[in-house]
Amino acid sequence: MSMIEVSNLTKDFRKTIKSPGLVGAFKSLIKPKYETFEAVKDLSFEVPKGEILGFIGANGAGKSTTIKMLTGILTPTSGYCRINDKIPQEDRQNYVKDIGVVFGQRTQLWWDLPLRETYSVLKEIYNVPDKDFYKRMDFLNEVLDLNDFITSPVRTLSLGQRMRADIAASLLHNPKVLFLDEPTIGLDVSVKDKIRHAIEQINQEEQTTIILTTHDLGDIELLCNRVFMIDHGQEVFDGTIKQLKNRFGHIREIEFELVNAEDANRLNFSQFGSAIEYSQNEKNVRVKFDSSKVSVPDVIRLTLSQVDVQDISVKDADIEDIVRRIFRKEAAEHD
Amino acid sequence: MTNFLRKYRPFVSAGIEEAIVYRANFILFALGNTLGAFVTYFLWKAVFQSSTNSSLNGFTFPEMVLYIFLSFFTGILTSSDGSSSVGDEVKDGSIAMRILKPISFTANYFYEEIGSKLIDVGVLAVPLFGGILIYQIVGEGTPVLNLVNLLLYFFSATIAYLINFYFNICFSFTVFFFRNLWGSNVLKNALVIFMSGSLVPLAFFPPVLQNVLKLLPFSSLLYTPVMLYLGKYSAQQTVSVLLLQIFWLIFFIFLAKIVWHFAIKHLSIQGG
Amino acid sequence: MRRVLHLEKIFISQYLKQTMEYKADFIVGVLGVLLNQILNLIFLQVIFSQVPKLAGWSLQQIVFIYGFALIPKGLDHLFFDNLWIVGQKLVRKGEFDKYLTRPINPLFHVLVETFQVDAFGELLVGVILLVMSSATVHWTLLKVILFVVSIPFATAIYTALKIGTSAAAFWMKKSNTITYLFYMFNDFAKYPVSIFNHLIRWIISFVIPFAFTAFYPASYFLTGKNVLFNLGGLVVISVVFLFISIKIWDKGISSYESAGS
Repeated sequence: MSMIEVSNLTKDFRKTIKSPGLVGAFKSLIKPKYETFEAVKDLSFEVPKGEILGFIGANGAGKSTTIKMLTGILTPTSGYCRINDKIPQEDRQNYVKDIGVVFGQRTQLWWDLPLRETYSVLKEIYNVPDKDFYKRMDFLNEVLDLNDFITSPVRTLSLGQRMRADIAASLLHNPKVLFLDEPTIGLDVSVKDKIRHAIEQINQEEQTTIILTTHDLGDIELLCNRVFMIDHGQEVFDGTIKQLKNRFGHIREIEFELVNAEDANRLNFSQFGSAIEYSQNEKNVRVKFDSSKVSVPDVIRLTLSQVDVQDISVKDADIEDIVRRIFRKEAAEHD
Repeated sequence: MTNFLRKYRPFVSAGIEEAIVYRANFILFALGNTLGAFVTYFLWKAVFQSSTNSSLNGFTFPEMVLYIFLSFFTGILTSSDGSSSVGDEVKDGSIAMRILKPISFTANYFYEEIGSKLIDVGVLAVPLFGGILIYQIVGEGTPVLNLVNLLLYFFSATIAYLINFYFNICFSFTVFFFRNLWGSNVLKNALVIFMSGSLVPLAFFPPVLQNVLKLLPFSSLLYTPVMLYLGKYSAQQTVSVLLLQIFWLIFFIFLAKIVWHFAIKHLSIQGG
Repeated sequence: MRRVLHLEKIFISQYLKQTMEYKADFIVGVLGVLLNQILNLIFLQVIFSQVPKLAGWSLQQIVFIYGFALIPKGLDHLFFDNLWIVGQKLVRKGEFDKYLTRPINPLFHVLVETFQVDAFGELLVGVILLVMSSATVHWTLLKVILFVVSIPFATAIYTALKIGTSAAAFWMKKSNTITYLFYMFNDFAKYPVSIFNHLIRWIISFVIPFAFTAFYPASYFLTGKNVLFNLGGLVVISVVFLFISIKIWDKGISSYESAGS
């Protein structure tokens, strides 16, 4: 049976149309005009128990709006979601007992107090019995290394510590479903690693179902069995990360550092056609291409034959790139 | 040129919209405060109705009405927000940025405040000051509208604003002791409202207390301009209250300089 | 109910700990609130030095009304002041999300989160004034009981107005100036309504019914007259206003749009 069931979920926002200028501003103050903006359109999917679903999309694609409907914060315009056999909006207080939520950009910790205080209040809010609480804290300490800073006031924590503390706060009551909205945003590589590892461990120990939104392809590749991608509020992909890459091509990026910046004028990739593009910033030239059509060695070979190069680095493109790519591809298909 | 306009128009209209929303909030806020003035008005009305005298401590009822609303208007005219800006900046450490700028820090706050101040006062002056003038012209037994008094009022109110500005800057540095400005603000406001005469005219206090309060800087913030408008002072008294105002202004300008000097020292030692 | 009290206790102790992070500021603040009330009393004293009676009420009686007014105001201020923040920023910045992901009633959660200790300034002065002026009241057992009962209802009027107006933020994003405009009418409640004109009297009785938080109930205790209007009105008005404001609040929550993360 699936833990999460989403059916034809839709959310419209009403936006005030602002007419320009002073007169317009007064007009919209007195008699505002509205326009409907569809943030999420007709989404349907299911998530089985114990799965980690990567929920991805560009900025403004409707990720946060969807998460907020799933967590019961927003009411859908139409359609519904059923999670843990409950409709969030109908039985919100009961429903949220079994979920944990982390919004990477916000915190639910008590700002001026030592971190430990937050946990003792949350214990009361979620009615966690003493025995479970201590056991749970031990586990979370072990996974997230909270002991280093549990007596420090929250306002003095670093971003990485705060994020670990926030994740622990969302797990105190051992939720069946965990929503993580950008849990690694703005963190450095070693902290990201720690957090990914913790998420993995939590998922395995308790069979916690996790929905994870992120911009970081690394998060997805290490954690998610499945990826669900939306754009302009609509589903554009649902499958494994491997399928995603196969379907939309490996987008690779190579950065060359030239010996002389003016050499860039001599670069010519026209033999690869539209599968490749490049941009230049002084001595650095970034080349992006679809590795299913053009091979990495070919690009390097051609570049080296044209200009003198000091350094080369090869990267995977991020989610934003893939989304942009998909978009262009679809637009091309429509033409 | 048209290109330039097209490019910046969105910013300008966004700025105007923001200003309108801000102003709408400001006006609602001011309206809420006006209610307090109306409570005071009805209270004095009842007092005058219950009294057998037509004048109390030298105030007739129409003069009292003018006093209530004019002191309310003067309070808005001379209010200064410098203390909360300084307080916030000390708390979040951004005050350090002020030191880096090659401009006097008080001038910096002053220019930031004066723009929005002029608009706020402009918006409120129409209904409030307009109302006061109409009452004075059509009301029965009101003091005659007098151009000299009007000019003296605006001159004195301008000095009052400047005193208040520098006073608040000095006061804001108590944030170094309290780490927060909420408490000391509550205390300061209670004292200022009382000692400046905005709650009740100083003339209603016992003579000894009255004389002390009139010498303190607080009467210069409100009582002096309002009394000048009502024409309660002789020529000689007018000169002396204005000189007293100027004295307090100079006093606080210097005090602000000294306090700022120590604040910088404190900042450079403690790092904010 | 036990759980409600337990949570209230937890949140209060939590809030006190936070306040103690700024100890000096807090103590000065309480002194400020206290001083503010004392200065207001001096103002009353000044007024009564001019006339023996105000619209037929003696100084003692006015002091009783004034003291009575401070009790519900202080209680609401003490327990329910977090409502201001809803209209000021919680909704606009999307911080209200937090309350919706917790397994307790969001309104209750918002209410218990602060414990505004400076309200003790108002409560203390209020109690002192009531004690000082209680000789003017002809106390009976019934009056004592009714007095105790009337306090929570009067407090509920304050809280209801704050709930209803702060809920406006769910549609308008920001509503604290509206709350402020409504709230400021409480100044009228401290004096006999007969000194105001008809329009204001009507507003503070039935539209923004602060007169029921102080003058009407207090005048019953002073005169023993019109119990049905003075106290019955208080109960009816406070129940109706609280009911309406909670309806508005609930409706607001379902229109809550959060804010882009």
